Amino acid sequence: MSCAPVSFSLNGVERTLDVAAETRLSEILRDLLSLTASKVACGVGRCGACTVLMNGKPVNACLVMAWQIEGADIVSPEGLDILPETRIVRQAMTEENAFQCGYCAPGFVTVLVSLLHNEPEADLSRIKATLEGNICRCTGYHSIVRGAQAAAEAVRAERSKVS
Amino acid sequence: MRVVHPESLEEAQEIARDAGRTACYVAGATALQLLWANGGAKPDILIDLGGVAELKDVLAESGHVRIGGLTTLSDVASDEGLQTGAPMLAHAIGSVAGPAVRNLATIGGNIANRNGCLLPVLLALEARLVIFRSGEMRDIALGDWLRETPTATDIVCAVNVLASGDDAVWIHRKVGLRRAFTPSVVAVAGVVHLDNGRFDTCRIAVGGGVVPPSRLVLTEQALQGRRIASCDWASASETILSEVEAPDDLFRSGAYRRKAAAGTIVHALQMKLGGVADHVHADPPPPTLAREEIELGKQMLPDRWFTRPDMPEKVDATLSYLTDVREDGMLVGRILRAGVPHARLVSIDVSAAEALPGVAAVVTHRDIRGENGFGIVFQDQPALCHDKVRYAGDPVAAVAAVDAATAEAALGLIRVEYEPLPLVDDPEIALESQSAAVHEHGNVQTELHLDRGDIEAGFLEAAHVVEEIYEMPRQMHGFLETEGGFARLEADGTLHVAAGGQHNYRDRMQLSRILGIPEERIRVTSSPTGGAFGGKDELTVQPALALLALKSGKAVRLHLDRTESVLAGTKRNPMRLRMRTGCDKDGRLVAQEVDLVSDSGAYASLSPGVLETALEHAAGPYVIDNIRTRGRLAYTNNGVGGAFRGFGANQMTFAVECQMDRLAALCGQSPDDIRRRNLRKPGMPGYLGQRVSLTERCDEMLEAAMTSRLWSCERGLSPDGADYVGVGMALSYQGNGLGTIPHDEGGGVLRLAGDGRIEALLGLDELGQGLHAAIVSQVADFVGCARDDVRPITGDTLLAPDSGSTTASRGSYVLWNTARRTAPEFVRRMTAVAGSLLGKDPQDLCLVAGGIADRRSNSGDLLISYVDLAAALDPADRPSVSTHFAFPKTEHDGGNARYIFAFGATIARVAVSRATGEARVLDLDLHTAAGPVIDVASYLGQMEGGAIQGLGYTLLEDSLMRDGAYLTTNLDTYMMPGIADTAERMSVFAQESLDEGDDLGPRGVGELGIASVTPAIVNAVGDAIGYWPSRSPLSPEAILDHMETMQ
Repeated sequence: MSCAPVSFSLNGVERTLDVAAETRLSEILRDLLSLTASKVACGVGRCGACTVLMNGKPVNACLVMAWQIEGADIVSPEGLDILPETRIVRQAMTEENAFQCGYCAPGFVTVLVSLLHNEPEADLSRIKATLEGNICRCTGYHSIVRGAQAAAEAVRAERSKVS
Repeated sequence: MRVVHPESLEEAQEIARDAGRTACYVAGATALQLLWANGGAKPDILIDLGGVAELKDVLAESGHVRIGGLTTLSDVASDEGLQTGAPMLAHAIGSVAGPAVRNLATIGGNIANRNGCLLPVLLALEARLVIFRSGEMRDIALGDWLRETPTATDIVCAVNVLASGDDAVWIHRKVGLRRAFTPSVVAVAGVVHLDNGRFDTCRIAVGGGVVPPSRLVLTEQALQGRRIASCDWASASETILSEVEAPDDLFRSGAYRRKAAAGTIVHALQMKLGGVADHVHADPPPPTLAREEIELGKQMLPDRWFTRPDMPEKVDATLSYLTDVREDGMLVGRILRAGVPHARLVSIDVSAAEALPGVAAVVTHRDIRGENGFGIVFQDQPALCHDKVRYAGDPVAAVAAVDAATAEAALGLIRVEYEPLPLVDDPEIALESQSAAVHEHGNVQTELHLDRGDIEAGFLEAAHVVEEIYEMPRQMHGFLETEGGFARLEADGTLHVAAGGQHNYRDRMQLSRILGIPEERIRVTSSPTGGAFGGKDELTVQPALALLALKSGKAVRLHLDRTESVLAGTKRNPMRLRMRTGCDKDGRLVAQEVDLVSDSGAYASLSPGVLETALEHAAGPYVIDNIRTRGRLAYTNNGVGGAFRGFGANQMTFAVECQMDRLAALCGQSPDDIRRRNLRKPGMPGYLGQRVSLTERCDEMLEAAMTSRLWSCERGLSPDGADYVGVGMALSYQGNGLGTIPHDEGGGVLRLAGDGRIEALLGLDELGQGLHAAIVSQVADFVGCARDDVRPITGDTLLAPDSGSTTASRGSYVLWNTARRTAPEFVRRMTAVAGSLLGKDPQDLCLVAGGIADRRSNSGDLLISYVDLAAALDPADRPSVSTHFAFPKTEHDGGNARYIFAFGATIARVAVSRATGEARVLDLDLHTAAGPVIDVASYLGQMEGGAIQGLGYTLLEDSLMRDGAYLTTNLDTYMMPGIADTAERMSVFAQESLDEGDDLGPRGVGELGIASVTPAIVNAVGDAIGYWPSRSPLSPEAILDHMETMQ
């Protein structure tokens, strides 16, 4: 397998790695860099556990190959607090006891932070539609939705304080 | 694989032409991983179109919208010009894949793949494609392009759609296997122009999945020119049915696709043209709480709502799961699976694999020094196969190598010769004497009978008899963290095996037996783990991990990918259950006959216990004098069955509770009347004649169910004509504990740690259920300290004593009883050591938040903190109290019987779509009576999560197999509920009281949430349409067929 250098920004730090072009981002993070906060539970983009931000948007790291991240800005759950909403979202999800086993949590939180960063006005139906790509097997989703609504309110409260 | 990045269309096409079939264009690349996982050939060259700049934009102008082929789906959908000009397309994009996929996937890629569910939408919008072919741009109608033979060198540069205009209405609906992020069963789209109350031009199309994308020309012609007010919709529906081409696939028949297409098109057109808005099913009125009942939630019980101790590190993503451990020099393990369902194993040659550079160890059965068999009850499952393989997931060898790619390559070098044996894949046929034998002693793993009373005389008394065959699926646990972990030899020679599990001491015992190593030389870590639900109760990857670590002498990690987890892991046993129940004219049950066949798959694991538990719940909480039950468990070459939340009880409850509603309908009684007439009374013997514990709450749960607010919600045909709405209920009666026969003990330790924390040591596992929250709650309650003072130590044989398994809803009792039994002595010793340190009478001291206080003082001041107390004491003087006890059992010895039960009632409000036959759960109310609620958040979570896992079992989930191979190999086709499938609203209630003299404390609720969801939903469907499906997951086609007879 031929390797080639790929350069990208990861959690604000420039990186260059020698990897095969088809190496998946999920593998780069978890196995090459030992950054295991993002999880892999299906490997085909159907569960959302591996969600990271690529150029500001949530993507499934298991679907993204090394050649696609050349020059990209990647934020994994380890670096998510680059966004100011992360602290608020995490606090709300924690207080609501939104998760159980927690394996899906990094993906859900990443999607929610991205949503509320861009659309703090997101209502219930928008929140639910945005979470359609994330599977949770433990909770039945209601605790996640309660936490997400609390997070949205807290983000709005924070923004109104600032403005 | 090489990726090239052309900067122009010409360059891209040239590369594609020169490379032929070994190259393919790629844009978002989101379809490739699934394609490759399903056996699609990997090309040598990927031609990245991303650098071809002119292909990315959306331009709305004069009646058209032009979309560049490389525009991502999310950018298309959010474009304002598109939302105005082609709102149907924006809407439809929301039904393609999931949001994160849409951030990468492009519209050109979706079109180029030719089977996307956007194609009918684009056809209805009269899309024209700009195709780059043979060096030039061509403008071609999408329909014409689809009819051409596909050429691999075409590049979809842009798509132009007609803006619909103000005089048009549009319809779009994607019918899938679930409500969102689903493969398409059929997608429909239409644009209809109106002219003075008549249909003018119509463009209607279907497609999606296996349905060829096409315009419905005959249907369009039939509508054109008609007056809308007098449109013959039945005839339009007939035209659609005859015009849609739709093949069968694994999941739905072609006939269903045609009906769903006709139903959705006609209904959507009627609604849009009639100006009828979608009906929103109103929220139910607020609940009226039954006596002593509380509703669980942060808002309702703020004083009892605490952050779970494990929550911050899970939300922050800092918790390291056992599959997250990475260390320098750690090898990567992989397991070679048989891949054939039934064969004699002739030879295994690993020499080539061993010779591959980077391979550190290859293990086969020859490396097993102990007994090559495991299983919680019967040790019939080889750690690595030696003489034959009995299912496709059977492990034959395992490899440890420097990295995953080398390990994978080594697997490919192992030569295994098989001699095929006849396939046994039907449990009923497997039970016949002439069937090929999966195991030497035959395929009848277990056969159980129970006869009581006189069944013939009983049925003679019956005024009404309901006989039905209930068929239930092979549900997958679907824990998000698949099986895996690591193993290594510690410096002192101890073998440390760390993999998600549910009883580490038993895992250790089983490993000891396989490896021929004394138990005390093995350490097993079994949690934290990312979900289990029974699926990590049996050994999974631990034997392979242990063997690889022993042979290589190095640390090895191994993590099954989802497909291997599907292949190898246990599932809920598929069951076929014939139940015949009779009642007299007043609804009194007079006789019941049950015949149950369960598919064990290749090995026993806990399937015998599941069968036994199912039969123990054969009458539910009802009294039937005359019964005859037979249960048979068959070995087959299918995937292995085993423990799964509910453990047979929920399957049996499906049948029992539906029989009750059906008999009620025959008697002209209410679901309430018939249940009340037959309900067991406190103090009666259990179903097997055993003595059962105090605190029975059947009456209370029935009362709570019948006074539910949901019965007063609107039912019947919804105002928009879309759904039939019904309400159904079912009672839960769920045994706790392992029963009389299995060895069942528990215990733990309470001690003061060196850093001043009060440690509770329990050999239970945090699987997500809230064990740690429950531990800190109980210890704080019994000791008097704060929750933050408590540190749970669990999930590791090195760190905590054996507390028994974290299964069968038994953990709550174990931790409660441990806290109850250790706390008084712990407090006595704590006050004694503090008293002597402070020169005070221990009698005057008590434990409070943070430390020791004077019990006579109101100030709350600490005399000494736990931190200072611990620091002042020699380690040997720090209080430590242990306990060990038997799990409470009844005396019954005529079969495995439960002593403790938990009670509940599930009420469901369900909407059944008239167009598609799909059932959607609007409301779920879960009433429970399981003693004191230890931790509100955890209890609520268990009930909600169990209920939605049950909803999946009822409506969506089945692991399909054919010829011993799984057909649903990953989460693209195995449909666990997503956020759109969950009940729209769900409330959980608890009655906490215990009878006087009941000293058994809180009941476990791990299984109570799933106990009666299926029959509640099915009874709601019965209420809605007078038809009780007897097969789960419910078939929309069967429901649709029934509804056709209702008109």
